[in-house]
Amino acid sequence: MSLKGIRTNDKHIKNLANIVEGNRSILYKKEDLLAYDCDGFTIYRHLPRAVVFPNNTEEVAKIVKYCHEHDLPFLARGAGTGLSGGAIPLNGEVIISLVKMKRLISVDFENRRAVVEPGFVNLKLTNSISDKGYYYAPDPSSQYCCTIGGNVGENAGGAHCLKYGVTTNHILGLEVVLPNGEVIEIGKDGIPDAPGYDLLGLLTGSEGTLGIVTKITVRILKNPEAKQTVLAYFDNVADGSQAVSDIISAGIVPAALEMMDQIAIEAVEAAAFPVGHPKDIEALLLIEVDGISAGIDEQIHQILEVCKRNHVREVKVAQSEEERARWWANRKTGFGAMGAISPDYLVQDGVIPRSKLPEVLNRIHEISREYGLRIANIFHAGDGNLHPLVLFDARKPGETEKALKAGSACLQACADAGGSITGEHGVGIEKREEMRFIFSDEEIAAQTDIREVFNPKNLLNAGKLFPTPGRCLEVKKEGKSVTAS
Amino acid sequence: MLQGELYTELKDVFPESQMEVKENEGHPLGNGGKVAVYPKTENEISHILQYANKNGKTVSIVGGGTKRGFGGLIDSADILLSLANLKGIVEHTVGDMTLTVKAGTPFQELQQYLEEHNQKISLDPAWPDYATIGGIIAANESGPKRLAYGSARDAVIGLRVVYPNGKVIRTGGKVVKNVAGYDMNKLFVGSMGTLGVLTEITLKLRPLPKYESNVLLSFTEGDFAEMRSFAAAFLDSQMEPVSLELISPSLAEKLTGEKFYTLAISFEDNESSVHYQESFLKSIQPPKTKMTILAQEKARKFWQSFYTISPNGRVSNQTGETEAVLKIGVVNLDVLKVIRESHLLQDTHNLLIEAHGGLGHGLCQIVLRGGSENVISAIQHLRNFVKQLNGYAVIKHLPFILRQKIEVWGENPPYFFLFKGIKTKIDPNNILNPKRFVGGI
Ligand SMILES: Cc1cc2nc3c(=O)[nH]c(=O)nc-3n(C[C@H](O)[C@H](O)[C@@H](O)COP(=O)(O)OP(=O)(O)OC[C@H]3O[C@@H](n4cnc5c(N)ncnc54)[C@H](O)[C@@H]3O)c2cc1C
Ligand SMILES: Cc1cc2nc3c(=O)[nH]c(=O)nc-3n(C[C@H](O)[C@H](O)[C@H](O)COP(=O)(O)OP(=O)(O)OC[C@H]3O[C@@H](n4cnc5c(N)ncnc54)[C@H](O)[C@@H]3O)c2cc1C
Repeated sequence: MSLKGIRTNDKHIKNLANIVEGNRSILYKKEDLLAYDCDGFTIYRHLPRAVVFPNNTEEVAKIVKYCHEHDLPFLARGAGTGLSGGAIPLNGEVIISLVKMKRLISVDFENRRAVVEPGFVNLKLTNSISDKGYYYAPDPSSQYCCTIGGNVGENAGGAHCLKYGVTTNHILGLEVVLPNGEVIEIGKDGIPDAPGYDLLGLLTGSEGTLGIVTKITVRILKNPEAKQTVLAYFDNVADGSQAVSDIISAGIVPAALEMMDQIAIEAVEAAAFPVGHPKDIEALLLIEVDGISAGIDEQIHQILEVCKRNHVREVKVAQSEEERARWWANRKTGFGAMGAISPDYLVQDGVIPRSKLPEVLNRIHEISREYGLRIANIFHAGDGNLHPLVLFDARKPGETEKALKAGSACLQACADAGGSITGEHGVGIEKREEMRFIFSDEEIAAQTDIREVFNPKNLLNAGKLFPTPGRCLEVKKEGKSVTAS
Repeated sequence: MLQGELYTELKDVFPESQMEVKENEGHPLGNGGKVAVYPKTENEISHILQYANKNGKTVSIVGGGTKRGFGGLIDSADILLSLANLKGIVEHTVGDMTLTVKAGTPFQELQQYLEEHNQKISLDPAWPDYATIGGIIAANESGPKRLAYGSARDAVIGLRVVYPNGKVIRTGGKVVKNVAGYDMNKLFVGSMGTLGVLTEITLKLRPLPKYESNVLLSFTEGDFAEMRSFAAAFLDSQMEPVSLELISPSLAEKLTGEKFYTLAISFEDNESSVHYQESFLKSIQPPKTKMTILAQEKARKFWQSFYTISPNGRVSNQTGETEAVLKIGVVNLDVLKVIRESHLLQDTHNLLIEAHGGLGHGLCQIVLRGGSENVISAIQHLRNFVKQLNGYAVIKHLPFILRQKIEVWGENPPYFFLFKGIKTKIDPNNILNPKRFVGGI
């Protein structure tokens, strides 16, 4: 609309701009849209039709209703750090960006809950309540920038989810704009077990295909009384893996139990937060236990014993908060650190039963050799969530495809070991086909049936999560043509 | 249709030796069936459902039957499908701390088996000897220790479900972390058998605690302001209780012999940590309270008797009184108000009322016994009361006749159409546990 200086022949853009109050409410010029043609998964790209920035739930509902009535594909976007392409506008969607809805609405310490808008950044929640000794547990490595709305979309995990659970275990209530623009509130006031089917559980991790979350009630926790962090260096991956199993078998539930292999260590040491890890070890473990101070020493003692029994080369306990923070910064920036040793990298996200760790790591080595690409491993060893990082150079013809294939082969290895193709990053575009590694056609249909209940026109984030033949079918049903990537 | 015909037809798809004609017994809790079937395999269940689905026969699912009085507006379905014979452990990977088990396995059997490996399923449902793991998951049963360990939705990582059309669908997987596709497990947890028959359940396990204790803190003068400020201060500390359960005076009397509002505060950790937390409690113990510490075996005994306080749908009620159980959900500290209100109703309604609720998780259970009119009126009273607190009240146990008079699940939520949509997609012929669930689903 002219008032906002909008110059386009697309009447939908004018109408959408009218819904949203304030300036900077919509982007529609190609040069502005380029920043939104992908998320953290940069291999596929597609331009959106427009990006709108609603200020509140009513505006989201109006935009959605408008798209619904005019058959315009649309999707929600938080910070766009998703690693599986969930926020990529495959079908030229109208992107509904939630970054302006970033308020912390309320905190109720006594009842241990907080209400946030979807664009509120994960780490900000902990920062806002830490003075009272509270925190928000799910801690994806991207927590300094990803949004809690996006965390709900992906059911994000993080290093400390081993003990405290992933996003879904911390969501008490959601306000949701359904794909037809209707607004519903589930888990009112954060009260658990509302009668009926568990829609909270179903929506969390639905990758933005069932509705757009506009308000979130989360559980907050009291900081543990004490925390101790151990760093252990192993000459041999198998010993490191065995130590992981032995710690768990000893009845210890560590807050975090992370592993890095030799290539990963090479990268983090070359990047912004080096710790001085020896470069000739095959694996390191970063282990954290927390809880009541009186019980911690015993656990640390047991962990040190386990490491020694498994031929650890060196093992040490962090002597200060500063040292602990350094170890964690080194770990949490691990993905980005790949940039220091490779022009491009692809993060994968398989899960295996913990006991299969040595065997699957071996298989990943083989895959690396087969494809002639280096693969680093940084991962949540405690819950068997692997992150093979395939290093490649997109400038070399054919190497991107090769990297994708190698990544897929890693997921096949996880599936073959009785695991899953994704533990926290989601299926998105990237792993649609790999869904077949673990689900039959009927099992996939059982899931798309649920989508039809919420999202019958499939205008909301279409083409994600499920393998493509299903998608062709959908497209035909709606009689529209959609360009595949 | 005549029972005989149904029996004859079923015989063609199912082994006769595992079938039984049920006389029309008019069980006071309803939820029966004309012909009972006791499948031993998932495949047999699949055949029964295919038959039922094609021929429009209704199926009532029963695990241990402890929740027979929970929901349900039909006296008798065509087929009563019992999971009593679908029992046993399928796979226990000790190192992975995961367990796959058949749905009809009694909970206590599992815990006993796991104990040998120093592991447990971290759920604490009522009637563990009778309740089956399938029924616990389908009814989303939880107990006071949910505070630390979460509920069924947090423990289940995978399911095998026979859909009403007989197809077997797997949801989730065998690994503890998994976001592939929709989190379909959640759909079946608490679905009361209205979407499918659970045949196998994969759970994540926890280590058995090395030491445990249960601290009973009795408020001898029943001062609510004191209870509230104590609870708030304790919750604001860095202690890690696994339960913070407020117990009404009449229930406390049954469990401890003393008729005071009592908090059951449990700790499970290594011994030094547990003792440390006990001494912390002592340091903040309010005046006019009494503290008793039950260690180890005594703590376990306490909880064992606690888990058998509610009526068991399996055991017939001999007292002639009406028994009802309410599950109430409110904001955590509002549990105090609910328990007090329930206690006060004893006198105004001439009932025996035993109530407890978790101050750290917001769920209460209220057991009411007495004349049926009074029971119904007290339920209505409590419903209105919790409505003002934005909470809900579900009737977890009530005789069949009374379930026709009062909406077991309360009012339908505004998004009921989504429940209906899900049910219709999965069970279009409405054969599974019809009218057992919210809004007549
Ligand atoms: C020893 C015994 C004797 C019985 N005798 C009779 C009798 O004589 N006559 C008669 O009519 N009935 C009898 N029953 C059946 C039973 O009492 C009720 O019919 C039953 O509906 C109530 O138990 P329940 O399923 O609610 O309990 P639970 O087993 O605790 O189940 C709770 C809920 O979960 C559902 N559910 C349970 N297991 C599964 C599963 N694997 N998959 C999906 N949903 C599930 C149930 O349908 C119910 O909604 C008997 C049961 C037992 C155990
Ligand atoms: C360096 C790096 C490290 C990472 N580490 C981790 C990690 O440790 N653990 C982990 O789990 N993930 C990790 N991620 C992945 C990513 O950060 C998470 O998936 C995060 O949850 C995405 O949040 P976002 O705000 O960026 O969402 P986006 O990428 O914008 O969106 C993600 C998905 O959610 C949907 N969505 C977004 N907002 C909403 C909403 N309000 N309502 C409904 N759907 C919505 C989108 O449509 C999309 O499908 C990492 C990413 C990077 C780049």
